[in-house]
Amino acid sequence: MQGSTVPTVTIHPTGEVIYLDPEETVLYGLYRAGYAYTIGCRRGGCAICKVDCRAGDFHYNRPVADTVITETERSDGTCLSCRAVPETDITIEMRGENLRLVNPFLRQINEKARLRAAALAAERSPLTSTTTKE
Amino acid sequence: MAVMRMGYVHARVTDLAEAKNHYANTLGLYETLSQDGKVYYKAWDEWDHHSVVLEEGGVGVVKFGFKVEYESDIDLIEKKAQDFGLTVERMSKGENPEVSDGIRFIAPSEHVFEVYHDQTLIGTEVGTHNPDAFPRHLVGVGVPALDHALILAEDVRTMENMFRAVFDFFPTERVQTDLEDDDAHFIASWMTANNQIHQIAVLEGPQAKLHHFAFKLGDWTEVGRAGDIFAMDDVPIDIGPTRHGITRGQTIYFFDPSGNRNEVFAGGYPAYRDRPINKWTPDQIAKGIFYHARELNERFTSVFT
Repeated sequence: MQGSTVPTVTIHPTGEVIYLDPEETVLYGLYRAGYAYTIGCRRGGCAICKVDCRAGDFHYNRPVADTVITETERSDGTCLSCRAVPETDITIEMRGENLRLVNPFLRQINEKARLRAAALAAERSPLTSTTTKE
Repeated sequence: MAVMRMGYVHARVTDLAEAKNHYANTLGLYETLSQDGKVYYKAWDEWDHHSVVLEEGGVGVVKFGFKVEYESDIDLIEKKAQDFGLTVERMSKGENPEVSDGIRFIAPSEHVFEVYHDQTLIGTEVGTHNPDAFPRHLVGVGVPALDHALILAEDVRTMENMFRAVFDFFPTERVQTDLEDDDAHFIASWMTANNQIHQIAVLEGPQAKLHHFAFKLGDWTEVGRAGDIFAMDDVPIDIGPTRHGITRGQTIYFFDPSGNRNEVFAGGYPAYRDRPINKWTPDQIAKGIFYHARELNERFTSVFT
């Protein structure tokens, strides 16, 4: 899915996949998909919403204070979820807790949006069929 | 009474443009100066040059300023601080724009405190000559003034001792493990220098951290209206509107765009030096903090900047 127009977040170890809108943060995407977990200020200041990024790339959409993300944490997979915007599909693991599904209706909507976006992306990209012909 | 009030909070923000939008357009503070990467604000019913200073880079608090009544109070407080064992340095006029000379010291909690006796007088937005009740064109919440701050410290009792000895503050309420002060471990203390229920509070936690700084509001109706404005402006709300059992204040905790916690605070009963201290036991701390829900959220003791 590298380079896909459909950024997704996969939750390890449950394998749940959540669809994000472009430029959407991990935290906002998870909440918009009906999930909740331990969060604080939601504005990058308190460091409570950190998760571990096991695969994929992301960037922070705002400057993050050194007191919130240390030098080591900038390269060890630490992901401050309220400021992290995936650049590729990413896989994350919660720290010491599970995601809680608080709104199953949003979960259904997100699942449909993800499948629709994936189907659309497959339609638009003739890449697979062309290469197999040659 | 030497110290009159906590006159200013100087905070760090990660994005100055977003912070300016929050403090000016959502809270309704008036920008009085922008210089050297710092922005200075006053609220409409404040007369001194500024009560909030924002600086880009990082989060949390840089320092607090306390205003004394007389220039001579500076020497007295310097002496008291030294007697308490603190290292005090002199600050000169203009080190902080529009602020007089004074002193600076680092509290046992590792917060930086400044003491000054004068700030350039700007005047309230309604003036002093046959003034109206409030400015007609307030922006957003339109807070009238800075109210208090809650800071964190590893040793609350020592901080209370410092505020008593150096600033002549007195505690109005406390959370403590035993009703007998001598046997108790102090978990939190609310302190003031006058009839305002608290000007500063200290909660047990990591050194040098900020829990929140608060702005004054008039009553429940204004607190509710502030919540409506926060919804309109997508301000993350931490808790409220609710009441604190401690101080009896009506409140909303919310976050600025860098994650620093702010509060709007209304009410609170009048404080007096001879009024017995209200004491809360740890088993009732949840009711003390959030009077209606009587349940602490995980953020109260874990989310700071």
